[in-house]
Amino acid sequence: MSLAIGLPIILLSVSCSDEFIEVSTIGTALEDNYYRNESEAYSGLVAVYDVIGKQSKGFENMIVLLNSGSDDHYAGGGSSSDGSQLQVFSNYTISESTVAESYWDDFYQGVFRANTLLTKLPDVDMPDATKARFTAETKVLRAIYYFELVRLFGNIPLITAPLSTGDYYSVTQADPNDVYAQIETDLIEAIPDLPVTLDLANEAGRLTKGAVKALLGKVYLYRGKNTEAAAQLAEVNGTPGSTSTYGYKLLDNFSDLWVVGNNYHSESIIEIAHTDKSNADWGFWGSGADEGNSLNVMVGPRGYVRTTGSTAPDYAAGWGYNIITQSLYDALSGDPRFDSTIENLQAYVDSGEVGLEQSYQYTGYYLKKFMPLNSDVSTGGGASELNYKQHTYMIRLADTYLMEAEALGGTGSRAQALLDAVRARVGLPSVTVSIDAILNERRLELAGEGFRWYDLVRTGRAATVLANRGFVAGKNEILPIPLAEMENTLLVQNPNY
Amino acid sequence: MKKNNLNLKSFAILFIISTWFSFAQEISISGVVNDETGLPVPGVNVIKKGTKIGTVTDFDGAFAINTEVGSTLSFSYVGYVTQDVVVKNSSSLNITLAQDLAQLDEVVVVGYGTQKRSVVTGAISGVKQSELEDLPITRVEQTLQGRVSGVTIAANAGQPGASSTVRVRGITTLNNNEPLWVVDGVIVDAGGIGFLNQSDIESVEVLKDAASQAIYGSRAATGVILITTKKGKLGKLSVNYNGYTGVSSPARKLDLLNATEYATLLNEKSVNGGGSILFSDPSSYGEGTDWQSVIFNNSAKRTTQEFSLSGGNDVSKFFASFGYTDQEGIVMSDISKYTRKNIRLNSTHNITDKLRFGQTVGYSNEKNIGIGNTNSEFGGPLSSAINLDPLTPIVETNATRAGQAPYTNNGIWRDANGNPYGISALVAQEMSNPLAYQKTLSGNYGWADNFVGNAYVEIEPIEGLKFRSTLAGKLAYWGYESYTPVSYLNAASIVTQNNISRGTNKGFDWNIENTVSYTKSLKNHNFSVLLGQGVYVDNISSGETVTYFDIPVDNYQDASFNFSVPTDQIDASAYTGVEHRVTSLFSRLNYDYKEKYLLTAIARRDGSTRFGGNNKYGIFPSVSVGWVPSKESFWETNEMINQLKIRGGYGASGNDSSPDYVYLATIGDGRDYTIGTSGSVTIGNSPDAPSNPDLKWEETSQLNIGFDARLFKNFSVAFDWYKKETTGILQPVPIPGYVGAVGLPTGNVGDMENTGIDLELGFNKNFNEVNVSLNGNVSFLENTVTSLGNGIDFISGGATIQSSTYPITRTQVGQPVNSFYGYKTNGIFQNQAEINGYVNSAGTVIQPNAQPGDFKWQDLNDDGTIDSDDRDFLGSSIPKITFGFTFNADYKNFDLLVFFQGASGNKIFQGLKRLDVENANYQTAALGRWVGEGTSNSYPRLTTNDTNNNFSNPSDFYLEDGDYLRFKTIQIGYSLPADVLSKLGIDKLRIYLTSENLLTFTKYSGYDPEIGGGIFGIDRGYYPQAITNQLGINLQF
Repeated sequence: MSLAIGLPIILLSVSCSDEFIEVSTIGTALEDNYYRNESEAYSGLVAVYDVIGKQSKGFENMIVLLNSGSDDHYAGGGSSSDGSQLQVFSNYTISESTVAESYWDDFYQGVFRANTLLTKLPDVDMPDATKARFTAETKVLRAIYYFELVRLFGNIPLITAPLSTGDYYSVTQADPNDVYAQIETDLIEAIPDLPVTLDLANEAGRLTKGAVKALLGKVYLYRGKNTEAAAQLAEVNGTPGSTSTYGYKLLDNFSDLWVVGNNYHSESIIEIAHTDKSNADWGFWGSGADEGNSLNVMVGPRGYVRTTGSTAPDYAAGWGYNIITQSLYDALSGDPRFDSTIENLQAYVDSGEVGLEQSYQYTGYYLKKFMPLNSDVSTGGGASELNYKQHTYMIRLADTYLMEAEALGGTGSRAQALLDAVRARVGLPSVTVSIDAILNERRLELAGEGFRWYDLVRTGRAATVLANRGFVAGKNEILPIPLAEMENTLLVQNPNY
Repeated sequence: MKKNNLNLKSFAILFIISTWFSFAQEISISGVVNDETGLPVPGVNVIKKGTKIGTVTDFDGAFAINTEVGSTLSFSYVGYVTQDVVVKNSSSLNITLAQDLAQLDEVVVVGYGTQKRSVVTGAISGVKQSELEDLPITRVEQTLQGRVSGVTIAANAGQPGASSTVRVRGITTLNNNEPLWVVDGVIVDAGGIGFLNQSDIESVEVLKDAASQAIYGSRAATGVILITTKKGKLGKLSVNYNGYTGVSSPARKLDLLNATEYATLLNEKSVNGGGSILFSDPSSYGEGTDWQSVIFNNSAKRTTQEFSLSGGNDVSKFFASFGYTDQEGIVMSDISKYTRKNIRLNSTHNITDKLRFGQTVGYSNEKNIGIGNTNSEFGGPLSSAINLDPLTPIVETNATRAGQAPYTNNGIWRDANGNPYGISALVAQEMSNPLAYQKTLSGNYGWADNFVGNAYVEIEPIEGLKFRSTLAGKLAYWGYESYTPVSYLNAASIVTQNNISRGTNKGFDWNIENTVSYTKSLKNHNFSVLLGQGVYVDNISSGETVTYFDIPVDNYQDASFNFSVPTDQIDASAYTGVEHRVTSLFSRLNYDYKEKYLLTAIARRDGSTRFGGNNKYGIFPSVSVGWVPSKESFWETNEMINQLKIRGGYGASGNDSSPDYVYLATIGDGRDYTIGTSGSVTIGNSPDAPSNPDLKWEETSQLNIGFDARLFKNFSVAFDWYKKETTGILQPVPIPGYVGAVGLPTGNVGDMENTGIDLELGFNKNFNEVNVSLNGNVSFLENTVTSLGNGIDFISGGATIQSSTYPITRTQVGQPVNSFYGYKTNGIFQNQAEINGYVNSAGTVIQPNAQPGDFKWQDLNDDGTIDSDDRDFLGSSIPKITFGFTFNADYKNFDLLVFFQGASGNKIFQGLKRLDVENANYQTAALGRWVGEGTSNSYPRLTTNDTNNNFSNPSDFYLEDGDYLRFKTIQIGYSLPADVLSKLGIDKLRIYLTSENLLTFTKYSGYDPEIGGGIFGIDRGYYPQAITNQLGINLQF
């Protein structure tokens, strides 16, 4: 009967101690114990950088969206309802329920990560100079995300520290002027603590003094502070055509801008990095761990096949978005930049050298700057179409040349020289500088890079140029606030939505 | 075994008999106990009344006992009316036991023990093996459907081996609503319950009210389902074989447009949208392709073989079984298959008369080949068959077209003649030729190995006092093998490099429970006390997946991990699970006085790893009482109410199903960027979803009042009314995007209420040689959300449909959870005058941009415009009524079973047509579209420029009644006569025909109205259940 005595002992010995129901966090750090040293602060900084990839990462990337709404492109895709979040921006039926929430959420995630890091950095044990640089980069990134948000949505909450739980629902929208003021403050405060040049092998992709000055100039331009804009941009640009103090210089060959792997060259000011090494796959496409360029597959022709003996380029098939309009085709006809910008596949179809499936709103013209070749297709892990590695530009020197010329009012010898330099690089003769000439040059030079729609809105031309698309003045200059943000909060919808 | 029956008891009997010899005339009696049909009844207790002397009938129903003339022998067996016989001076005594149709004395498994049905005070329903015998049930959930009140069950798919959604008394919470499954004391996760073989089950009990559930405390709020597997029975070795085989076919096909109709409607749609005629001569296309005929198999095979052995003596008893089931699905049978092999060994041993040992162990191996999506608008054969245009040929036989794009792509799939499978130029995205799609999944399968078992030691040092220690565990291995070939299905589905992938997972759960119980009767006071302690650990898990890209093969047969590929073509990942631990103390008191006044009180305290600080522990008490007026002296025996028991109880149970660590502020990775020129990814870290240090147990309290009665001798009634309130529901709190969190915090927000009635009715009667029984149950249920936390009126979008302008469901205070939400239509504008005349109270034209043929939307807020504020609740997906009826009859050697079940009062969202696939096919309902004044007031015009959002707005247009009545099982059996069989040494040989799902009555226009899932009733291309006809044989010897 020893077992009869044994059982109660077992019963007692497996007593329920509190420790038994404490779990240790495996593979997960606690916020209280994190941000202790430079390497943890750096990983926090990388998380702030992560969001900048939205320029050309994921289905809902900035370039594809902004192109879709401009007069240079149609949304395209498989049908009128394929990628509806792009279609509704392309035909101006966009509403609070059809606007893609990620254009709001993702940038606010960037803001949150920046706000968090800014509260943590003062207590991190690391060299002061490095800490100052991290702080400056974080502020610039926060400014970039607010610049995107305020341009896209206009009336947005301005949050500069992590919200406490009790404040989640009491947030209201800020005056856009206050948002811009914060952006300017962040940028100005950051400039002194940033390096002029980078150790490219280890630091390429991070922000520099020149990059922030270019950005600040751009922000001033959008605010109509033309004098301040011209001053900042002049430092970035230096003497048109030659190397500036920050080391910027136009590339000799326009086509080199679109060579995959030609990264961090002298014309690149803020460059968005992509790689084929993140093994991006459908399960986390567009999320933080995806580092592929999604723009590439999106603009590729649908069902592209070359017939035997075809002389057509060996493009990889894609999804046929951002079809180029006849209007842009006509504008670029005869321009030396045409061959790098537009691919006329209909010509190959007509000659029987190519088979393809026509996109919605098919014109036969594709956005060649980002069209991937089969040789660009990743052979590594993940879904091969999500692992393109072409970098994209958020700001490049031709852009800052033209922005400075615009800030100068489109007149004067320096404005003329800036415009001439952009044209001369592709072998075009000088034309008399004017705002119209500058904007036309921007359209041709920067076609398909996601600048056109903002240019039209900034200069008040959108309502006229996009009238046939359904653009309504006083409404479509900004997007509607996504419905989910309106639910249970104090936010007010943008006018006329 | 009769000869071996020399055991302690026999010695004891001999001893006692010998001492009594001198007092009376001893007589040796032997005989056989049969039931009313003449079959022997083994295991009948034969007791000399007023003593403990007795024996048990053997497998042939035979017994032998020594007693004295004039004494009374009592013959008793569960399910039969006890019969007392006065011993006369005859050595032969044959007894016929009548079935006790009331079965009020049956034993009910209540968790950590059993209770006589007559003294149960909680709401417990169950199913016995006898009700399930020979039924073709693959998964255990289906044993409960329609057989138990208060349980709503809907299959998740008609795919073989697919699980079902089980809800006990409605939707209890906004998080995990799966009930707690306990198999022989082992807690088994709902997904893993498929390992059980139906014929190994002795009984299934559902604990429905808090008073019963409280013994499982923290994990019981969503209901507890207790499964007891078969144990060996005393008597001769019993061998049982049951096998059946049959074929399945689809119950119905959708009426889709044929090629001519399709071309006509698409022309009209294009022209209406300002486009051109797409097809110049629609009639030239004829009927076109019937894609449904491509995917459905009218003779999918199904086979099950089960073999069991059972037996034992007074020391040891055992039950052993082997089962094999192989089932093909009716959709693309080559990639829709399920096989399972089971082995089980259960045994119990009396080591001494005070020390017992028992164990159960079951092993199963499952192999699952699935078509991929079984209820998804994102492709899969069903969605493809519904949406693909009928113009595209199944196989492109035109040599010119077959030689052009897209058929010149790499990875085109071809039939045996080398002709390519047709690729639609009109419908792409995730839709593809099912025959080509099938090839991309060839050779892929999922597998699972499960070991579930327990072992216990029980000591009874003095009578009534039991110490019991149970160790239980579940060890599971599962994974998949897949090969993805280079493939071109359409422009949107291209794979340019192949890969081979393998995933393996291991999970281990265990628990120890120690209980001490004491049962004592003092005069008429009957007590039973249970004290227990338990430790539960689950999700000790880990897993790995590895994928090799671009291996040098072009088919799955040759694919192997033995090929070497460069390391940058290998993708691998692994994880370690977070253990979930619970510690518990529990106690239960059962008391009754003369089985007339009944009381059960339970308390349980649980501590969980999922909560922090002071909220780790939850206490869950309950009390229930009962009164049996029919046992009172004042109760006059009457013909109307033969027996009556009134019950009532109130108690609490809990739920800790929140994610791990959410009470802690954690940092997560994978927020990366590519820094530097190497192209390597730099890992970024940032805070995860906001934490909630105050997180605590979700609590469900329930009041239950009911009665059990026997009326007019042949009718039985069990009635329960309940009100269940869940408070502090653990769920993600929707927070605005501007907070910037990567995920949502978890909070105790939200309260919900379920009220309902469960009713079970029975009727049994013998009409001469025909025995008839009818058992039915009906459950009425109402679910209401009563709170969603501070500042939150509703939670949007439990479910969405691709390209719908708004989410299709909303959870709001005062409404059932996840109710359908959208616009209400008000007919169709027949002409411009109606558009101009459709004004609000202020005279504003509500839809000035509409065109004749567009829906009139109801302007619910009367503001003169249609916007998001004009949406309203359109109905609930939760059936208000679920019911099931079983009819049994037998006549001589024939028997008949008819079982039907159904649901009523729910809506189904008919989302079969993909909204964002412009050229997707239509159901023939589209032929009744609006084409001019007076043509339709319910189906709008077709246009490619649907500015009125006729189709993209979620609205009552998509909602249909989900009521159905289904003849789930019809079975006819014939048992060979016993006298024939006994010559062959066979106890039973029964041949039977079974038809499953033979008839379904419903108005629903999709494949199948029974649609499970986290939210019921959203049809995106649901894999329907099949009609199956089978022939079976059951052999016992």
